[in-house]
Amino acid sequence: MNDAILVVGAGPTGLSAAHGIASVGRKVVLVEKEDRLGGAPILSGYAKLVPSGEWAKDAIGRMIERVEKNDLIKVSKGTKVTGLEGEHGNFTATLSNGETVKAAAVVLGTGFTHFDSINKPEWGFGTFEDVVTTTQVEQMVAAGKIACPSDGRAPERVAILLCVGSRDRQIGREWCSKICCTVSTNLAMEIKELSPETDVYIYYMDIRTFGLYEDKFYWKSQEEFGTKFVKARIAEVTIAPDGKRLLVKGEDTLVKRPIVIPFDLVVHAIGMDPNEDNPEIAKVFGIGLEHHGFVERGEHYTSSFASTRPGIYVGGSALGPEDIDTCVSHGLAMAMRAVGDLEARARKAA
Amino acid sequence: MATYAEMQEIFEDIKKDFRYEHELNGCLNCGICTATCPSAHFYDYSPREIVQLLWTENVEQVYDAMQEKIWACAQCMTCAARCPFKNSPGGLVAIMREVAIGHGLQSAKDVLRPFGRVMLKLITTGNQLSPDMIQPDHFPDWGPNIQKVDGDLKTLRKAIPMKTLQTTDTAWEVALKTSVEMYTIWEMTGVLKQLETMDENLFDVIEDFIEEKREEYEELLEEQEEAK
Amino acid sequence: MSGIAGHGEFFQPTNLSAADAEKATAWVKKRVDRRELDLGERMEDVREHMWQLEKEGEIIVHRVSDAHKPAMVKTLFGWDKKIPTMQLWHHKSCGQCGNIPGYPTSLLWTMNQLGMQPGRDYLDETDQTSCTAWNYHGSGIGNVESLAAVFLRNFHQAYVSGKRLGHEPGHFFPLVHCGTSFGNYKEVRKYLVENAALRERVKKILGKLGRLVDGKIVIPEEIVHYSEWVHVMRNRIASELQKIDVSHLRTTVHMACHYSKMVHEDAIYDPEVLGGNRAAVGTSMAQALGAQVIDYSTWYDCCGFGFRHIISEREFTRSFTIERKIKVAAEEAKADVMLGIDTGCVTTMDKNQWIGRAHEKQVTMPIMADIQFAALACGADPFKIVQLQWHASPCEDVVEKMGLSWGDSKKKFEAYLEEVKAGKIEYLYNPELALSV
Repeated sequence: MNDAILVVGAGPTGLSAAHGIASVGRKVVLVEKEDRLGGAPILSGYAKLVPSGEWAKDAIGRMIERVEKNDLIKVSKGTKVTGLEGEHGNFTATLSNGETVKAAAVVLGTGFTHFDSINKPEWGFGTFEDVVTTTQVEQMVAAGKIACPSDGRAPERVAILLCVGSRDRQIGREWCSKICCTVSTNLAMEIKELSPETDVYIYYMDIRTFGLYEDKFYWKSQEEFGTKFVKARIAEVTIAPDGKRLLVKGEDTLVKRPIVIPFDLVVHAIGMDPNEDNPEIAKVFGIGLEHHGFVERGEHYTSSFASTRPGIYVGGSALGPEDIDTCVSHGLAMAMRAVGDLEARARKAA
Repeated sequence: MATYAEMQEIFEDIKKDFRYEHELNGCLNCGICTATCPSAHFYDYSPREIVQLLWTENVEQVYDAMQEKIWACAQCMTCAARCPFKNSPGGLVAIMREVAIGHGLQSAKDVLRPFGRVMLKLITTGNQLSPDMIQPDHFPDWGPNIQKVDGDLKTLRKAIPMKTLQTTDTAWEVALKTSVEMYTIWEMTGVLKQLETMDENLFDVIEDFIEEKREEYEELLEEQEEAK
Repeated sequence: MSGIAGHGEFFQPTNLSAADAEKATAWVKKRVDRRELDLGERMEDVREHMWQLEKEGEIIVHRVSDAHKPAMVKTLFGWDKKIPTMQLWHHKSCGQCGNIPGYPTSLLWTMNQLGMQPGRDYLDETDQTSCTAWNYHGSGIGNVESLAAVFLRNFHQAYVSGKRLGHEPGHFFPLVHCGTSFGNYKEVRKYLVENAALRERVKKILGKLGRLVDGKIVIPEEIVHYSEWVHVMRNRIASELQKIDVSHLRTTVHMACHYSKMVHEDAIYDPEVLGGNRAAVGTSMAQALGAQVIDYSTWYDCCGFGFRHIISEREFTRSFTIERKIKVAAEEAKADVMLGIDTGCVTTMDKNQWIGRAHEKQVTMPIMADIQFAALACGADPFKIVQLQWHASPCEDVVEKMGLSWGDSKKKFEAYLEEVKAGKIEYLYNPELALSV
């Protein structure tokens, strides 16, 4: 009854869930496979988060600090869950460091894996140094300088290609990764701010800066930062005749004309793949994956964030592409679910 | 000028092809197909446009496109390799061409007239191009250098060290039996019928040729029987 | 992969040690690529359905067996493909045999040089039709049924071809010479495997031709293109046969659309060739010979063959090929030769240069197939074997750059022509082997 709740993954989802559970006075065991907390924003060195504009290391840093200072939360870094036995109310988890944990419930915030652009070789990543991903541009922003990796020069023209690894049946990834439009428009503004002579072009199929992000990102990036949008999915990226720049080939569908344009820097707006460990996670926790490869979620109206196994909850980007703000919300929702279910069981038993 | 009903019928025929469903799933209008299309760079042609017309069931404009536009496609299939929906605009164009021919569209006949030589060679021999067709007067724009050694074609072909290539009127020597099997295939799959619709004169020439060859083959079989 | 995409010193860590900064981008290097990721049901391999059909008694699969000494390669999604290296049935290309006879001759010559025995290790015969796909793609005359019937007819012949020479069924495995045949056959195989109605209709036709085995149609386990054979044999060709140093030659490679884009999941991608980022064939042979392979801006472009266009809408073909291929290879890549892996491409690029002068675009570039280039480097006679006399582009320049004398070879060949006239003809294989019926 006084058993802790096991939270797996210390990204925004897990950190939020851990805090939520501790805030109602219950114990938490927080297990993180990497050697530090924070998840993708910290591990991949994100710069300023959307929509807040706060530096990742500050915003997520606060979440980390709060968890580390909390006596009710026991943190295990560099540790994975290797086995889970038992049932709701009475789980026993085995960790990779040899410890066992008795847990009344399990909350999964295991997250996602960034799409590796190696899988779209025709878009030049891995062949040309000046083809990078949005996470690498985040690092450029964090370092305060936008430059071409090949020779360090400031790019005159940057192309951001949207939907890399998303919405693409050719590589079995038929989902939308939700937040890359917002991230890309944000990066377009960051690039312009750091390098005012640089022009940024965004090549898109659709623009999905949803909700209140519409004017904050899509309109603002045009009105205040001169970002140019072209509705064209790029076919290939090849070396330009000058041997230095890169040619981007598409059809400007709104003007109805094929285009071949040289750029100094090409950025892939990479999508969110299911966590590469999901097959292992599914096995260890005895839960199901849905057909895209993300973790399967139960009926959401009255059994929100349930996995296919009672007592195990799943949320955040483990379920599918998700933005950080929503992941934080999911974490708290799962805390509510985990605690609520346990208290209901306790009342029933009484 | 076709009536709307005729255009409708043509459109239905396109949709009936079993490949249609696989090759047209919808369209995100991303333009990647037109981006890579070699024909889009030179003609007033866009595979994306073809897909849009088919998907939105624009019967009239589909009929229009079948007059000239579909013949611009170079059948390279780059569109199919790139489309995020896994459509095949090139494959859809191939269906549209078959349907155009099946309906005896004058535009199809006009477009294909210069191709007649190749078709004749193909249907009658199973090869598509033969050495005696690669002559300067047939392809003057290939220039005078298409044969850098002086000599008659027959000798030059005999100087190729593969027995099957020592022919001049076919690309390689085709056994009579093989040709006759081909004719059966052309007949049973309706290709000869297509040809008749397309070009009656060409069809007559081909029919005569096929009859001749079949007779030759019958004689050959008889000889082989007697020899046993 | 140092220096690629974000690992130079230029990226300054913010409060992170060098080790931590490295970790932040380490996942980039991890190559979690489609070759390792299980795509599950999201990607279908038609061969799985094919085996299922055989199990159900619907078809017979012509296997690539150990006797064919297969080499294993990986395709686009990391699937395995067996490339038979011995006991091959040469499925010829009509464009090659009609236009570029040095193309198949170079291939057979190379096989002979490697010690393969005609009649046992390969067969070239007359009982073979063209795949008919050029006509289909050019004119629309034809249909899936006719293409499928031709496919099955030819591959049945391949299957039984060894019988007259005392071999078992399936002894010779078909090797497809032409890129369009290859692409077409890949597509047709897909339709046949997925569509029962098509199978039924075509079975009737094959039955009438007497080309069923136990009442079933024969479908090959793999559709194999000759350039894939060259790819898996490239190191042997280079180490055992190469006589001429080509390291000073700048080559560009043109990738055939029908090899790499038609049913594109069935094309070779090799991590050791272009980082696995582009189809490996063609490039791999040139690199194995030690030649320089130069990248260029229009690598992915079609050559402009068009199937119909090269015959009856030639401005398109010539404009496209001169602007997007010849000029680029000559002026941008400053290449000595452009290598192709397919009939149509080599024909298009080779024959459409002279006309450039009519449009004031006089650019020339020697054009030949990867196997012709390899044969030259291995000492094959430029005229008797590589048959470069049929190439309109200035291949004599490449021959000279390889240290051979075009003039001497020509004289030798002209002398040989006299022998030919007298009936003294040299053959790569006993000519009787060619006559199937």
